[in-house]
Amino acid sequence: MVAERGNAPSPAAPNKAESFQIRKARLRASFLSQLPGRLADARRAVAELRAGELDHAQLDALYVLFHTLKGSGATFGFRKISDAAKRAEQTVRHAMDSDGLVEAALRAELDRILDQVDALALAADVQVDPDVAPGFELPGPEPQPEPTSGQAPDTRPEQPADRSQRTVYLCDDDPDLAAQLASQLGCFGYRVRAFTNLADLRAAVDTERPSAMILDIVFPEDENAGPKMLAELAAGEDKAIPCIFISCRDDFGGRLQAVRAGGSAYCTKPIKTVELLEFLDRLTNPHPPEPINVLVVDDDRELAQFHATVLEEAGMVAKAVSEPVQVLSLLETFDADLVLMDMYMPDCSGPELSRILRQIPGHVSLPIIYVSSETDVERQHKALAVGADGFLTKPIEPDRLIAEVGLRAERMRILHSLMVRDGLTGLFNHNAIMQFLEVAVANARRAGTPLCFAMIDVDHFKSVNDTYGHPTGDQVLMALSRTLRLRLREDDMVGRYGGEEFAVVLNGAGIEQAKRILDALRTSFSNVTFFSDGQEFRCTFSVGVSDFPTFDTPDAMTEAADRALYRAKKGGRNRVEIATVQDALTEPAPGSPETSDGS
Amino acid sequence: MRILIVDDDPFAGAMAEAILDAEGHDCKLVESGVEALDAFGEEGEGFDLVISDMHMPLLSGLDLFREMRDRGISIPFVLLTGDDPAPLRAQVPDLAACLTKDASLEATLPAAVAGI
Repeated sequence: MVAERGNAPSPAAPNKAESFQIRKARLRASFLSQLPGRLADARRAVAELRAGELDHAQLDALYVLFHTLKGSGATFGFRKISDAAKRAEQTVRHAMDSDGLVEAALRAELDRILDQVDALALAADVQVDPDVAPGFELPGPEPQPEPTSGQAPDTRPEQPADRSQRTVYLCDDDPDLAAQLASQLGCFGYRVRAFTNLADLRAAVDTERPSAMILDIVFPEDENAGPKMLAELAAGEDKAIPCIFISCRDDFGGRLQAVRAGGSAYCTKPIKTVELLEFLDRLTNPHPPEPINVLVVDDDRELAQFHATVLEEAGMVAKAVSEPVQVLSLLETFDADLVLMDMYMPDCSGPELSRILRQIPGHVSLPIIYVSSETDVERQHKALAVGADGFLTKPIEPDRLIAEVGLRAERMRILHSLMVRDGLTGLFNHNAIMQFLEVAVANARRAGTPLCFAMIDVDHFKSVNDTYGHPTGDQVLMALSRTLRLRLREDDMVGRYGGEEFAVVLNGAGIEQAKRILDALRTSFSNVTFFSDGQEFRCTFSVGVSDFPTFDTPDAMTEAADRALYRAKKGGRNRVEIATVQDALTEPAPGSPETSDGS
Repeated sequence: MRILIVDDDPFAGAMAEAILDAEGHDCKLVESGVEALDAFGEEGEGFDLVISDMHMPLLSGLDLFREMRDRGISIPFVLLTGDDPAPLRAQVPDLAACLTKDASLEATLPAAVAGI
């Protein structure tokens, strides 16, 4: 018995302290997450049936499999899955009763039922509850000791944007894609229900309105079925449900249909999860977005002030400057989304000021709009050539000013947030985090404040990928990024340095405080339980951390953190090591054989 | 109450266990009739009730019930089945209860156990 059930999926060890509802939800999620594995086993067994042969053992195994599925399906309230399994069970029983002779029709019939169960499994709640996601579960924030006065708390209690209240319906006729997207979005806190046909989606919308929908464009019944469904749903409602279309169609027709139906965004397949997430956050965020920051530069002090006032009244934050020379220092503290500048100023013209800005790495992509009484189109074009983004002619209608500025700033924000993020984890990417470190070192030097830089590397990540497969490895990375984002302080910057390596810039933290924060994170992450094919496992990470001013340049800090990380790995992993000046003298350079295999 | 749960499907077994734990019972979960008999033989523990799945490989729930009675173990026995329970009830009147294995188990199982 034991040997026979050796590979069988099994739920995680029970935690008897939890409420029944939570245990039930977890078992249910666990049942769903291992269902594809069971169905794959069944398909293999069906594929091995040979027509005209007697095969008692194979039929027996199939019978048990379907019978079990029938029972647990019913227990967890998946009526249709249970019914389908029952039909399969009876089909196999019938074959067994006729002396185990396999008929040609048997395979076809079982395959057909398995197709049905596959679709049903997908239509079921893929994400029952974010707290019991099949992929991993994060322990809640541990109680923190009261911060001593004058010291910033080590961790922030909650994520500012809690997505758990937001239900999203996803409909795509490709069951694999639907399930994959649903589980990934689930990892970022959304409650996602996946559907593989529009009729089911419609029924669900009628019962409960989601915060947003994600729809495919093309369905078997119609190449514009997705937009048609959205238009149909919108017809009966006062307030349309925000909708993102996903499609392998990148043609104008598809996009036009999507826009006409009222789609808010359009993502082409293959879908980048983080891009989708960015749109979802925007569409479902109940809080108003951060106001747009505009810097107005005009030598006419009153006109500058007037434009600033118009923009302020539209809900933006505007700063007026009449001297171009003030612009650079102001931009250091004022995080402008856009600069509105006069083209003709006595000391420094608009194009000159633009060139100056474009030569500073942080301002290359800062949108610039010229304001001028210049009506000569050719001269306007020349001015634009040095890297401005638009041209407004004085006098400007307030409405037009607001619209032009708002549109450009918003667009640039979306673009910017996509450019600096890592595709898998949504954290800052390598370039962005290195830029933050540079800025942080400069600030720390000027203000005389402490600063730490940590490099985090998942232990034995290669063996996680080898044992459980890359999708599970990705889950580990997503879980770590979520742990980091949830638990770090507001001022801290987290980035994916590369592979299974993460970097954190801890602003204002001394080395002792940084070690305490990182150790708390390490403990927290080591308690995260991962599930894969019904198996449970845990992961740890190692950390190297360096501080300013012991190491006083960005390069020195990264190099030192890297050496400390190497020491943490060599010392047995799952630990935080503080970089010392001696490291560079005594340790061999990182990248020696030991770190390269299975670190 | 100290309850032995027998189910070859670990998910269904864990679900029954969760239902009964919530009622304050002390449950032990095993995956086959053979393991169930071992639990009686070795531990000699005082179980107050056995809840078993009907259809299991090798030893069915009914086989387990009969084997226990043969061995003189007379504690109450609840059978769970994925099929229609009526014929089983008629066939084996000595069962404390015979319940359908579906979502209604959340209500019927505690009720049946409370009645024992």
